[in-house]
Amino acid sequence: MIIEIAAKGGFGGFAATGLHKTIDVDRQAAPIRQELSDAFKPDELARLSREPCGNCPDRMTYHITVTDEARHSRSFTLHEHQLPPETLDLIDQM
Amino acid sequence: MARKLLKQNEKVREERAEMTDIGAPHHELSPAALNRIAAQGESKLKPDRQIHDGQYKAALPGKLIRSEGDTETGIADADTAYDAAGQVFSLFADEYGRNSLDDDGMPLVATVHHRRNYNNAFWDGKQMAYGTGDGKLFRTFLELSVVGHEMAHGVIQYSGGLLYENQSGALNESIADVFGSLTLQRGLALEAHEADWLVGRGILGPDINGAALRSMKAPGTAYSDDLLGQDPQPWHMDHFVVTTDDNGGVHINSGIPNHAFYLFATYLGGKAWEIPGRIWYHALQSLNNPMASFSDWADQTIKSANELTGNGSSEAVMLRRAWKLVGIAI
Repeated sequence: MIIEIAAKGGFGGFAATGLHKTIDVDRQAAPIRQELSDAFKPDELARLSREPCGNCPDRMTYHITVTDEARHSRSFTLHEHQLPPETLDLIDQM
Repeated sequence: MARKLLKQNEKVREERAEMTDIGAPHHELSPAALNRIAAQGESKLKPDRQIHDGQYKAALPGKLIRSEGDTETGIADADTAYDAAGQVFSLFADEYGRNSLDDDGMPLVATVHHRRNYNNAFWDGKQMAYGTGDGKLFRTFLELSVVGHEMAHGVIQYSGGLLYENQSGALNESIADVFGSLTLQRGLALEAHEADWLVGRGILGPDINGAALRSMKAPGTAYSDDLLGQDPQPWHMDHFVVTTDDNGGVHINSGIPNHAFYLFATYLGGKAWEIPGRIWYHALQSLNNPMASFSDWADQTIKSANELTGNGSSEAVMLRRAWKLVGIAI
């Protein structure tokens, strides 16, 4: 599974915030691999993207694309406050 | 139709009254308004600051490291956040009679060291959070106009709010910039002509070609850089940017009302946090329209100017001119 993450927005409203990551989940150590697979499961991201995102100024927007072994890709746009802190920590860690 | 004509006549009468009474700027509020501010101001109001260390994680608020009245922590970001929150509190309390962000004494909760290499600062509806920056695009977010901006989002929220998209969202951003800039100007005791009117001066990374994040004096000129691109802010409605990005360009089109405030404050001269700031604050308290357009807001500021400085005052005339110059005729 490949996860691509790009962020934009924030206090500056920038199209580029310096965050663009591509993670090959299969190449990660076992514990992280499991965490990533759980956190970026397409169904979970789809559920989170439907959560109300309220009226939160200056937050980032994440564009996440998940590509599975069969090379099927699904893309999601999520506001920062729709993502759980643990998922944001994973993004920062990778 | 009849109602529309009546409204038009009312506007014409107001404008005539203004035009026949142009003199030197009063630089004084009406006695009633002064008494009201005096009663509110000279504030005995005190902040209740609670600064947390996010320890580079995303969970908020993190570990409490400095409460109100505590001595310095020695952690630079935490102590800056504490001092800056005090200055923002003081602007709203001593100048506008407001008791904290909600006008009911709510604690000022802030988290520093939010996430790792995080290029952002925000108000999440309950508290402020500041990243450290990645050292390339941003070197810090703990700068007084930035802190003032984020806390002003809290004030806007508790003043009825402005929907965070399109023109109302750009107003939300602009009003936050105005009070961020006023906090800095007041902190440095700068008059309008002495201020640089930059928001986020010095927060960009060392190799970024830019002075700040935004310029209220010259929107569109704050930075021009290979990584960040060109500052996209317009200063006039002719250059209003229609986009679906950035919640409909909330950080872009805010340049227009930002510039109107700058022009107004510069026309009047003196301390921008006094009459111009009071008019903006009063307008925010009176607006009662979360979906306000630029035109609605301009109209509200004129009403506030008339109320605070007298019908047809030179301040109201100058304000109308400022709005006209950015392409908003009211």
